[in-house]
Amino acid sequence: MRLKTIILIIMLIPLFLVGCYDKKELEQQAYVVAIGVDKTDEKGLYKFTFQIANPEVGSAIVGGGSQEEPKETVSIKGSDILTATNTANSFVSREITLDHTKVLIASEELARSGDFIRIMQSTARTTQIRRGVQILVSKEDASEFLQNINPKMETRPHKYYQLILDRAKETGIIPEAEIHRFFQITEGDADLFLAIYATNKKAKEKDDGYEDEYVAGQLPKEGGNNSQFMGSAVFKEGKMIGTLDGQETRLAHVFDPTLDMDDLLSTYPDPIKEEFRIGADYSQKSSPEINIEYNKNKPTKINVRVPFQIEIIAIPSLVDYSQNKDNKELLKKTIEESLEKKSRELIRKTQEEYKAEPFYWSLYIRKYFKTIEEYEEADWNKNIYPNAEININFDLERLEFGKMLNDSNLTEVRD
Amino acid sequence: MFKFLKKVQQTDSKSEPEAVHTKLDKNAQHIKQLFSYGLNKDFTFRELTAKYSQEKIEIYYYSSIVDANKVYDAIVRPLLESEGKQIRDVIVAESVKEITDFEQATEHINSGKAIIFEDGNNTAYSIDVAKFEYRGIGKAENESTIRGPQEAFTESLNVNVSLIRKRMHDKQLVTEGKQVGARSKSEVNIVYVKDLVNEEILKSVRERLDNIEADNVRNLELLEQFIEERPYSLVPTVLFTERPGNATSYLEDGHIIILMNNSAGCLIVPVTFWSFFHSPEDRYLRFLFGNFSRLVRMLAFYLTTMISATYIAITNFHSAMLPPDLLLAITASRERVPFPLIFEILIMEIAFELIREAGIRIPNPLGPTIGIVGALILGQAAVQANIISPIIVIITAVSGLTSFAVTDVSINYSVRITRFIFIFSAGFLGIFSLMGAFLAWFMYVASIKSFGVPFFAPLSPSYRSPHDTLFRKAIRNEIWRPGQIKPKDIRKKANSK
Amino acid sequence: MKDHKTLKTRELFAMMTIFVGMKLADTTPSLLSSKASNAFWMIPIISFIVIIPSFLLLIFLLKKYKDKNLIQLLEAILGTYLGKALGFTIFLSAFLSLSLDSRNYVEQIKLLYFPESPTTILYFVFIGVAFIGAKKGLEVIGYSSWIGLPLIKFSMLLMAFLIFDRIILLRIFPIFGDGLDVVLTQGIKKASIFSELFLFTIAYTAFKDTNTFRKGSYLGSFVVIFEITFFFLLYTLVFDYNSVGKVAFPFHDITQYINFGDYFTNVETFFMVFWLLAAYMRFIIFLYLIAWIFAAVFNIKEFEPLILPFAFFTIIIGMIPDNTLLNDLFYRDRLLNYMTPLFISFPIILWIVAFFKGDLKKT
Repeated sequence: MRLKTIILIIMLIPLFLVGCYDKKELEQQAYVVAIGVDKTDEKGLYKFTFQIANPEVGSAIVGGGSQEEPKETVSIKGSDILTATNTANSFVSREITLDHTKVLIASEELARSGDFIRIMQSTARTTQIRRGVQILVSKEDASEFLQNINPKMETRPHKYYQLILDRAKETGIIPEAEIHRFFQITEGDADLFLAIYATNKKAKEKDDGYEDEYVAGQLPKEGGNNSQFMGSAVFKEGKMIGTLDGQETRLAHVFDPTLDMDDLLSTYPDPIKEEFRIGADYSQKSSPEINIEYNKNKPTKINVRVPFQIEIIAIPSLVDYSQNKDNKELLKKTIEESLEKKSRELIRKTQEEYKAEPFYWSLYIRKYFKTIEEYEEADWNKNIYPNAEININFDLERLEFGKMLNDSNLTEVRD
Repeated sequence: MFKFLKKVQQTDSKSEPEAVHTKLDKNAQHIKQLFSYGLNKDFTFRELTAKYSQEKIEIYYYSSIVDANKVYDAIVRPLLESEGKQIRDVIVAESVKEITDFEQATEHINSGKAIIFEDGNNTAYSIDVAKFEYRGIGKAENESTIRGPQEAFTESLNVNVSLIRKRMHDKQLVTEGKQVGARSKSEVNIVYVKDLVNEEILKSVRERLDNIEADNVRNLELLEQFIEERPYSLVPTVLFTERPGNATSYLEDGHIIILMNNSAGCLIVPVTFWSFFHSPEDRYLRFLFGNFSRLVRMLAFYLTTMISATYIAITNFHSAMLPPDLLLAITASRERVPFPLIFEILIMEIAFELIREAGIRIPNPLGPTIGIVGALILGQAAVQANIISPIIVIITAVSGLTSFAVTDVSINYSVRITRFIFIFSAGFLGIFSLMGAFLAWFMYVASIKSFGVPFFAPLSPSYRSPHDTLFRKAIRNEIWRPGQIKPKDIRKKANSK
Repeated sequence: MKDHKTLKTRELFAMMTIFVGMKLADTTPSLLSSKASNAFWMIPIISFIVIIPSFLLLIFLLKKYKDKNLIQLLEAILGTYLGKALGFTIFLSAFLSLSLDSRNYVEQIKLLYFPESPTTILYFVFIGVAFIGAKKGLEVIGYSSWIGLPLIKFSMLLMAFLIFDRIILLRIFPIFGDGLDVVLTQGIKKASIFSELFLFTIAYTAFKDTNTFRKGSYLGSFVVIFEITFFFLLYTLVFDYNSVGKVAFPFHDITQYINFGDYFTNVETFFMVFWLLAAYMRFIIFLYLIAWIFAAVFNIKEFEPLILPFAFFTIIIGMIPDNTLLNDLFYRDRLLNYMTPLFISFPIILWIVAFFKGDLKKT
C-alpha cells in the first residue's frame, strides 16, 4: 500500500511540473476584435491590420488607465493571418489571440483581385477564427477603415461591431455574411455570396435616392460617426464583382429562403398624389415559394411567389386609403407593382451583369439530379440561371393601417 | 447478552477467574483489592445484617454512578426490614442477577450496579441502581431544519432508544445489545425492525462489531471508523445523524441503526450517496418545495466542487469561451496581480479553509472576531493590496458558501478535499484533465459499497424502490421500500393492492 | 450482502450507445464523407443492414449455447484451437482499432484545444484515465455509463437544437451524392464501424440474465444507428456537399459555429466537456472489453491486472503513425475495410459449423 502510494506520487509530480503547455494567463493575451486585410505591391504578401481591445478601458474595477485608448490598431505585412500575429508581437506586448474576432475586413481592391480566397482558406484551417465571423468589404483600405472607426457611444470596439452589424442585419440593408456561408456558397460554386459593404469615407452624396437606395458612403447624413454599413459586395467564385445597394440587398433577403430579416420599413409611391410617398412596414410570415421547372434543352422556368403583409405607418398625402375600398385596391396594386418592378430590375442585373444569382436558388434545382456529377454538369451558374425565364409575383396578403382609423382631415384642421 | 457471557466463560476456562467464595471475608478482601479500595475514592461498600437470615451482608458499588436513594430503597431497606426465605424474596428490584465469579462482578460494578455478598452464600447478586449523568434532550444543532421535530439524540443510550420508540410503536422494533471493547466494555445497541431488515446485512453488522479489537470504543464516532469497510476512502459509508426522526424514517425502510452511550446521535447503515445528499427537511416540506430545495442543493454540490476548477480551466486554457465583456473585465482586474491565476485561487481557498477551521475551534465569546478578520482578509484588503483580483473573491465566496449547503459533516469533508483535487487537475491541462479527474473520481465513488450496497443505487444499478434520488416522489406515491438494501417486506403500503 | 450481476438492460444500453454512438462525433463522418460527399449519411444505414444479420446470428448462437461468452462459444463450436485462433484474430483487430482510434481522439483534442501540448502527454493522460476507469470493473463502468448517458445525449440534442435554424433541408440533394454505387460499396466496406457491437458479446454472461443482454443489445444497436444517421444527415445539411468532405471534425466544427444568443458566442468548450466524458467512457469500455477478450482466449482468470499493460501497449502502437491525416485516412480506413469481412463472416461460419454438428437441434 505504502509503496504503491509513493510510486503514484512520484509518477504524478512530473505531470504537475510539465503541465503548462497551453496555459495562458488572461493578461498575457491581446484580444483581436477585427482583422483587416489589404493588398500590397508584392504578390503573396498582404497587409494585415489587427484591432485589439484594451481591457482596462471601460471596466469599473480598475481605477487608473482611463487615459489609455479603448483599442489599439496595428498593421503588419505577412503572407497569412497567423504568421502575421507572430510578427506583430515585435511591437505588441502580448500574445495575439483571434478567438474573439467579430469581423474580417477586406479592402475592395483585395476582394476584386481574386486573392481573397487564399486568405479565407487559411482561416478555415485554424480553430481560432470561428465560422460565425462576418466578412466585410471596405471601400477604402481595410487598415484605413479600421484606423478611422470611432464610435461615439460604445467604448469597447467589440460591442460596437456586435451592435451595429446585428441591427443593420435586422433591417436587411446588409446581408448575413458569415465565413461559414462564404464557404458553403463559394465551394458550392453555384450562387453569389454577399458580403457586408462599408466605408468610412464619404463619397459623392446621392441626394435623389429614397431611404435604402444607397451603398455605403453615399448616405446624406449629418452627425454620428463616419462609418457607414450599407449594401453588399457581390462575390462570384471568391472574387468581388460588384455591389448591391441597400434596397437590392433587402430584396435579396426577401428572395433567399435561408435568410431572414426582421424589420423592413420603407416607402412606396402614393398612387393618387404622386408627389408623396407612403411609409409602410413590410413583413413576411412565410418563405417565398420558389418553383423551378427544369428543362434540359430549353430555358428553365423559375416561378417565385412572395406572400407578404403591409402595415401602413405614414400617409403624408392624407388620402383616405383605409376606408375607401377603391383606393385601398389601388394602393395594394401599386405596392405590389412597385416591388415587382424593383425585383425585375435586380433579376435582370444578376442575369445579365453577374450571370449568377445571390438568392441561393441553386438549392431548388438540385432535386432534379441524382448525383453531384450530373448536377455539376448541368451547371446552374453558367447554363441554367442566366437563360432562365424568371417570373416574380408579389402577393399582398393583408394590408393594415395601424391604430388610426383615418387621418386628420387637413382642410378641417386648417379651417 | 447471553452470547456474550458464553464467550466470556469460554475464555474464563483458560485464565480461571476467581469464583465467589462462601466466606464473606474472602470475597470482601478480593473485591477490595480488585478495585483498589481506599485509593479509589468513590468505590464504596456498606455492611449490614439482613433481617431475613441474620447473616452479614456487604454491598459494593461506585457511589458516583449509582442513585443513592435507589440503593437505599431497593437494597438497604428491604434487607433491613423484610422477611423471607432467600435473598430473592427480599430484594424485588426489577433486575437482580446472580453472579458466580469476580470477572462478572467487576463488570457489573463498572456499569453502575451494586453487588451484594452474603456470608455463607457462594452466589453474589447484582442490582441495577445505575444513575449516569447525561445532558438533557436538546435541539438538533448541526442538522437544523425549519419544519419538523427539533429534538436531538443525547448522550444516553436509554434516552435515545426511548426517543426512537416514541416515534415507532412496532412490536417488531428490536434493540439488540452487544458489547465492544476488551478493557472497558461499552454497550452498543443495534436497532432494527425485525420483519423488515435484511438478515445478511444484519449478520455483517454483528460480525463487524464482534471483530472489533480495541481496549475501549468510547462512542459512535469511533465505532464508525471500526466498522467501515474502507478506512482510507474519500467518501463516508456510514451515516451519522442526530435527529431521531431521521433515524426512524431509515428504520421504517429497513435500515439498521446503531446506538451507543456517550454519543448524541446514531449510525445508520447501509447508506448510499443519496442519504448524504438528502436532508430530513426534504420530507417535511411539501413535494414541490422539498424538491426545489434538493435542486438548489444539487447545484450547490456542483458549484462547491467545481466552480474554482472550472474557472481555472476556462480562464487559463479556454479563454475563448468567455463572453468578450466578461473576458475584458477579468483581464483588466488581473493586470496588476502578481500571481498566476491558479495561485490566486489557492490562496483564497486556503484562506477560506483556515477561517472555517478557526471558526469551529474558536471559543464562543471570540466568535465575532472571526467574521471581522475573515471579511477583511478575504474581502477588501486582499483586493486592495493587489494580491488577488476581485473576481476571485466572488468565485471563492460562492465555492465556500455553497459548501455549507452540503449538510452532512463527513460528506462535507469529502467535497472539500475533492475541490482541491479538481483545482489541481484543472491547472494541469484545463477541461481535458479536469474531466479526466472528474470521471476517475466519479467512478471511484460509484465503486464504493456500503455494506454491499452500491453507492449510487438505486439510480444505477436500479432496484424497485421509491427512486428517492435527486428528486423524491409525492409521499402518497411511495409504494416501495428501497430495494437496494433488500428488505424482507418491500411493499410500504400495507393495505393497498 | 452479496449481490452479483446487478447489471441490467439499461446499463448495457448505455454502454452500447456511448461506445458505438461516439462515432458520430469523431472522424468517422469525415472518413465517410470524403468518399461519398453529401450522401454519406446513408452509409451507416447500409453498413447496418449488412452487418446486423451476422450480429443477430451471433446472439442467436449465444442463446442456443446458454451461459457462454463469445470466446467460450467459439471454443465450443470450433474446438479449442480453432476457437482460440479466431478469438485471437478478433482480439487483434479490436486492439489495433483501439490503438488507432485512441490516437485519433488524442489528435483531435490536441488540434482543437491543446495545440502546444505534446501528443505524448495528452496520450498518457487520456489512456491513464481510461485505465483508472477500466480498473473499476464492468459493474462500475455500467453504472457510470447509465448515469452519464443523459448528460451526453442532452448535450448532443442541445447542439442539434441550436444548429437547427442554420440547416438547409434542400442540401440533401443531389440525393445520391457521388453516386449510388459509391454509397453502396462504401456502405459495405465500412460495415465494420459497427463491429464494436460484437465485442460486447464477451460480457454475455455478466448481466443479470441473458435475456437482459439481448434486449439491451437490440435496443442499443437500433438507437445507435438512428443516432448516427441523424447526426450524419445533420452534418450534410449544415456543411453542404462540397465542404462536408473537407471538414475533419464536423462535430467540433459545429460546436465552434453555434452560440447561445449574442453573449455566449464561443461555446465549444461547453460541448467539449460532454464530448470528453463520452470519449473517456468509450475508451474505458474499449480497454476493458479487449483485456477481457484477451484473458478469455488465454484462459486467464484474473484479467484486471492485464489492463495496465494493454493501456501501455495502446499508447506504444498508437504513437506509430506520423500524423493524424495518415492515421485517419490510411490506417484506419484500411483497418475498417479489413475488419468488415471478418465480422460479417465469423458468425455465419459458426452457425454453419454448429448446424452441421447438429448442436442447433438440441433443446
